[in-house]
Amino acid sequence: MHDEPVLSWKVAGLLLGVLLIVATALVKPLGVSTQYVVTDAIVLHGAAPGVAESNEYLSKYGEKQDWGIGYGWMLVLGMFVGGSLSAFVTRRFRSRNNPSMSSMWQTEFGSSSPRRMMHAFTGGILLLFGARLAGGCTSGHMISGISQLTIGSFIFGISIFASGIITARILYKRRLAS
Amino acid sequence: MKLVLGLLIGIAFGAILQLGGGSSYRKIMGSLLLKDMDIIKLILMAIAVGTVGIYALDLADMANLSIKPTYVVGIIIAGLIFGVGFAVAGYCPGTCVVAAGEGKTDAIATILGGLTGAMLFALVYPMLGGLMGITNYGEVTLASAFGINGIWIAVPFSAILFLLMFKVLKDRY
Repeated sequence: MHDEPVLSWKVAGLLLGVLLIVATALVKPLGVSTQYVVTDAIVLHGAAPGVAESNEYLSKYGEKQDWGIGYGWMLVLGMFVGGSLSAFVTRRFRSRNNPSMSSMWQTEFGSSSPRRMMHAFTGGILLLFGARLAGGCTSGHMISGISQLTIGSFIFGISIFASGIITARILYKRRLAS
Repeated sequence: MKLVLGLLIGIAFGAILQLGGGSSYRKIMGSLLLKDMDIIKLILMAIAVGTVGIYALDLADMANLSIKPTYVVGIIIAGLIFGVGFAVAGYCPGTCVVAAGEGKTDAIATILGGLTGAMLFALVYPMLGGLMGITNYGEVTLASAFGINGIWIAVPFSAILFLLMFKVLKDRY
């Protein structure tokens, strides 16, 4: 199939583990979700500096003189670039029939783009609300956190798969029944 | 220099996820439906390799660890919310960035939702911040809880993960 991954889970997992070790040696373990807050803080600080500085949470991510872009933000930008580059090289860039949805979604929910976009957007809200409450996401909490044997990260990993599995089964109940 | 390093590590991170299927809606949902275990096994492999490497670095005093606090109740609630978002979006906060780079437009909607969710959290933080205070055991790891060096846990833990990957978890179609 055209969207079959290029690397096996073994090779990709091994490379990701090595990258995590390199990042931990050079700077710190991998993490993503903080950068959503940093982006919000940068944007809001540009639009309404007083509001940004008075927000207890945003102000933690942008000191008085430094509401700018740092290492972690560049890492997330790099993920975008890296995803693009490898998709181009392996001829998988925009390889979907409909760029807004996977054929798996289309089979279950039809080809309405707005419907898929609403789910993708709502899912994003829940993802980052949860990640910020936990203090990290799949990369920072689960992969980096469990690798460091952090007890809270084991709890987070179990919780996300518990509710993720239940939610997926509700969404795809027709597919599962067939 | 730090900025360039961040960009390079990010490019490698994004490319590995893309090449391994981590940014594929179908592969992620396959894992959550427990049909296609590749993404779960990819994560377990990264952890199995990472944990031994990180604690080997730590033995040489070369690891820049970043331990997050364990506040049990808040983390369980957060994880349950995150999991619903994971299944509804079909991406996580990192893989949607990679998928957007691949030209998947629904992933852009997830990024925008993420920025909105992070902003919502910032607004309610004064009310919810308390959840991060109760049942808070601080920056505790299995190593610090047992009072031993992490490598003594990392090695057997990694062995258990290898057993899970190669003997226990099987695809079901």
